[in-house]
Amino acid sequence: MFDKRLFTLPGAKSAIAWCIATSLLLAAFMVGQAATLAWALTLLWEGNTLSDVAAELGAFALCFIGKQAVSTIQAKQLELFAAARTEEFRQQLAKRLYEGGSPLTQRLGTGAASTLCLDGIDNIEQYLSTALPRTVALVTVPFVLLAVIVFQDWVSALIALLVFPAIILQMVLIGSTAQEEAGKQHREYQRLANHFIDSLRGIDTLKYFGRSNEQADRVYETSEQFRIATMKTLRTATLSGAVLDAFSTISLAAVAVMLGFRLVDGSIALLPALFVLVIMPDYFRPIREFASDYHATLNGKNTLTQVLEVLGGSAGTEAKKEDRTPELQVDAPKLEPWQERSVLTFEHIGLSYEGEAALEDVSCSFGGFRKYGIVGPSGCGKTTLAQLLAGVLQPTQGSIVVNDHAIETLSMPSWRKQVAYLPQSPHIFSTTLRNNLTFYQPDATEAEIAHALELVGLTSLVAELPEGLDTVVGEGGRSLSGGQSQRVALARAVLHRTCRVLVFDEPTAHLDIETEWELEQRMLPLMEDKLVFFATHRLHWLSEMDEVLLLEDGQVRGFGSFESLSKEDSFAYLSSRGKEGGDE
Amino acid sequence: MNSSLKETIALLKRDAWVKPYLGRYRKILSLALVLGCCTVLFAAGLMFTSGWLIAGSAEMPYSVLMLGTPLLCVRVFGVGKPILHYCERLASHDWVLRFTSNLRKQLYRSFDAEGVFFRASHRLGDALGLLAEDVEHIQNLYLRCVFPTAIALAAGVGLCVLFGCFSPLACLVCFVFVSLELFVVPAVSVSINGKRQSMAKELAAKRYATYADNILGITDWTLSGRKADFLTQCENGQEDLNRLKAQAHAFDRKRDLAQQAIFACAIIALICWAAITFGGMRGGQANWILAFALGAFPLIDAFAVMPVAATQAQGHFDSIARLNDLSLPVEGETGTSPESEHAQNINLDLKHPVVELKNVEFAYPGQSPTICGISLSLSPGQHLALLGKSGSGKTTLAHLLRGDLTPTSGSITAGGLPCSELGGDAPRMFGVCQQATYLFNDTLRNNLLIAKPQASDGELERALERVGLKKLLARLPKGLDTVLDEAGLRFSGGERHRVALARILLQDAPIVILDEPTVSLDPRTEHEVLDTMFEVLAGKTVVLITHHLQGVSDMDRVLFLENGRIVLDGAPEELERSNQHYRALLELEQGF
Repeated sequence: MFDKRLFTLPGAKSAIAWCIATSLLLAAFMVGQAATLAWALTLLWEGNTLSDVAAELGAFALCFIGKQAVSTIQAKQLELFAAARTEEFRQQLAKRLYEGGSPLTQRLGTGAASTLCLDGIDNIEQYLSTALPRTVALVTVPFVLLAVIVFQDWVSALIALLVFPAIILQMVLIGSTAQEEAGKQHREYQRLANHFIDSLRGIDTLKYFGRSNEQADRVYETSEQFRIATMKTLRTATLSGAVLDAFSTISLAAVAVMLGFRLVDGSIALLPALFVLVIMPDYFRPIREFASDYHATLNGKNTLTQVLEVLGGSAGTEAKKEDRTPELQVDAPKLEPWQERSVLTFEHIGLSYEGEAALEDVSCSFGGFRKYGIVGPSGCGKTTLAQLLAGVLQPTQGSIVVNDHAIETLSMPSWRKQVAYLPQSPHIFSTTLRNNLTFYQPDATEAEIAHALELVGLTSLVAELPEGLDTVVGEGGRSLSGGQSQRVALARAVLHRTCRVLVFDEPTAHLDIETEWELEQRMLPLMEDKLVFFATHRLHWLSEMDEVLLLEDGQVRGFGSFESLSKEDSFAYLSSRGKEGGDE
Repeated sequence: MNSSLKETIALLKRDAWVKPYLGRYRKILSLALVLGCCTVLFAAGLMFTSGWLIAGSAEMPYSVLMLGTPLLCVRVFGVGKPILHYCERLASHDWVLRFTSNLRKQLYRSFDAEGVFFRASHRLGDALGLLAEDVEHIQNLYLRCVFPTAIALAAGVGLCVLFGCFSPLACLVCFVFVSLELFVVPAVSVSINGKRQSMAKELAAKRYATYADNILGITDWTLSGRKADFLTQCENGQEDLNRLKAQAHAFDRKRDLAQQAIFACAIIALICWAAITFGGMRGGQANWILAFALGAFPLIDAFAVMPVAATQAQGHFDSIARLNDLSLPVEGETGTSPESEHAQNINLDLKHPVVELKNVEFAYPGQSPTICGISLSLSPGQHLALLGKSGSGKTTLAHLLRGDLTPTSGSITAGGLPCSELGGDAPRMFGVCQQATYLFNDTLRNNLLIAKPQASDGELERALERVGLKKLLARLPKGLDTVLDEAGLRFSGGERHRVALARILLQDAPIVILDEPTVSLDPRTEHEVLDTMFEVLAGKTVVLITHHLQGVSDMDRVLFLENGRIVLDGAPEELERSNQHYRALLELEQGF
């Protein structure tokens, strides 16, 4: 029922102590409220006038408001505690995201990662600020009240005492079936949600086949099926609430009836009887509040688990190895800037995701300012190799030697700062074009920017833009075409002063052929005096490369000049004419 | 009056999404509300009769039988309350879910009205999920806000009537307290916290966008080494958000305190009234004092939720606003959408339709023309490749062909009929294969049946065999009944295109538009897919929209579009011979 991890959070112990103290005070006010009210009512019942009970009524009002005041103070303190803890989580998560880089965000999913950092943290905040007081109230308030009731009327106390564990037991029993049902329900719900979104996503496909109208009815039918399934589960799921409700009202009725009988035969006076009756609902209140917040609490609890996992507390060992942080590599030798005579050697490099090998036993050497093409069919590991070379991914096997320094990975600041990585669709940040261009070199001068724009052929675009370089581009701003985005990425690389290595990953794959041709004219000159890796399945680039690495199924199938490789059979599939060529 | 309140009222006035469905399941709705009111009545009744019972017992009557009625009442209320409450929850959920089913259908239909442009319009991905969530928000609006408010309102009216039976003054005092709890506190709460809430929501949305943007660009961030900048970006706006939240919480606490103070006053006023009305003697009439005093407590719970419900409701209103911003499909019992999607079975020349474009011009409203005077004739069975840079008007031309767009001037006919008048019959004339094949999260059979609902399994298998998926079908664990995209079963890009092609085959329209069907495939797969396409589509008119020259040499005719005009037109062999630009591009494509 209680989450042990809460104890390990800094400040948790004092927060719990605070909760216990305020809960005890709360219970004291409840007793006071019931006692004063019972006293006042008894006096009135005995025929006294209002002015005789003014003091009692005043005291009652004070206790009634005092109860709320205590809750207020309790909540305020806990909100501070929760806010401080979640702020820390938030900052740690941001750091972790940065260090984990794309392997981590891909594993989580972009949407899920953002949700975790924002909504998830809010859930935890809610959890911390409600779980503690609710749990503490549950284990303190009823017992204090029970102790007081015993002194007034042991029969009622016995009823209350017997009901309490029965309620807990029933809740646990029904709760677990309900949870099972809720699990089923959740899957059903997912299916429905997916069906609905699926129908919306595929609406044009349905249109093209003239089936869209029928789908509207299917959406309705599926939703109705879901309703029927939900109602079935709700019947059990709401039962736990109903049982709690039943126990508290029936035991209240029982207490009232028992009190009535004993009042008639005179074995109890009106004052204690009234007191017991007034305080009974308060006795059940902590259980009710705990139960009603239980689901919200569960949500926060699960998110906390997830956050702790991402932060590396109890993450799976494999996941940990995959996104080892670059900070681990701080002690590694600092790499010198890449030179004409520098050499990079891969020795039996391998990389696997979740047990599946994406690259296996890659051993090869790259040197100087040469240009290397990387080719192979879809899914052969081109992107993985390119990201490895860029220092985005880290190998899981083998070692790397750079200029006689043996290192485990290229994911280290001294390598990364020499690299520009140009993927198929470069990310354009939702900010000004200037910030996008100077992403790797925030201190670039106007002259440098103008020069870079000229080199990549963006000058005319900038002239067209209403606010020139200060126009907001990307999501929510002016959208750039694929060719323009690629040029922005190129300009970033040009402005990047320490850049010695260019890694391209199919930069033109989705562009039309004329745009590709224009870009090629811009790219080629920029490759001079750089170490270049160029993953592509467009053959015309290969004649520009010094050497070509042929990958298939994550393994190197050939490494050499384009001319020598193109004679090999394994190369044939790359050519669009390959099949006919074979037939001839 | 507060501006946000005004907006809310204006919104509720123009609302056309939520209101119309209120009357649809009136019986269940009233049942839920009646049960809800009875629950409150029983809860109050239990304490009321308990109070009376012990007061009566304290008089020590000679026989317990004299307490028969209160004893029975206590038992009935004690047992009845949880049962009523349980039934109320079921009834209200049932109603809300029925209501939601209608809402979902309407949301679908509203998107449906946008037709094939739906995907091209900006509402995709997260935004789509957002709308789907809105439907759920409206569920919560009812369960957490509307129902409790209605019940509290009924309880308030009941109380006023009850006290009205005793004296007008009591009724007035009761009215003052009820309206304080029902209207004043919630209104103040909404006007102060509602604004904070919407500001916080806006800030949170902005932060979400920033986060998503930075996470998408995380590779650039890690490579740039700008860790400090990244962390600053992530913190951006959080401080304001925290401040807003802290302010809202502080207000909530103060409001709750004030609310409890009002309750305390109300209870004391009630006791005073009861003491004056019934007091003065030991027992007898004075029993009612206890009954009224105790009966008041359960009512607190019914009223206490009001401010929270009101503030939450305020938060849900933008869901209603968002739905109301969507175009509303015209309501018709038969389920026809405005442009009449139903096939009218007009006589179409499906055998050998000639496609004829005469001086076609097209401009999106308020924009310069996308298509400028294209004239073109496609004989049946001709294979045409349409090339051009992005933005040259290729896709617009395809939409014009299928009749999804109507030319600003000029005419397009297929088999003698204007394409824009085909309406629901367009799928009989045109088949479309899109850039990204959409496979529904459903069985393979259902994915194919959308093309031809009455097709037999044999037909489906034959279609799959013709597109080269026979082996794949054999590999699937449940054959045609295998659910796609589930449990790691993913089709590769090439396979997806082949499924799309199988659909086209089943649809069996005489004209097929292939809109960049092989983008993102590697050359070998692309080549194989194109081969299959041309093979199985032989005899049909084919329009292949493409941005590079793969497969173009197999076509009968090649058209180059630039700024909405035809700049090159001819057979591929002829172009290769006579046109230098085409030759240059061809060389680039081949790389040798």
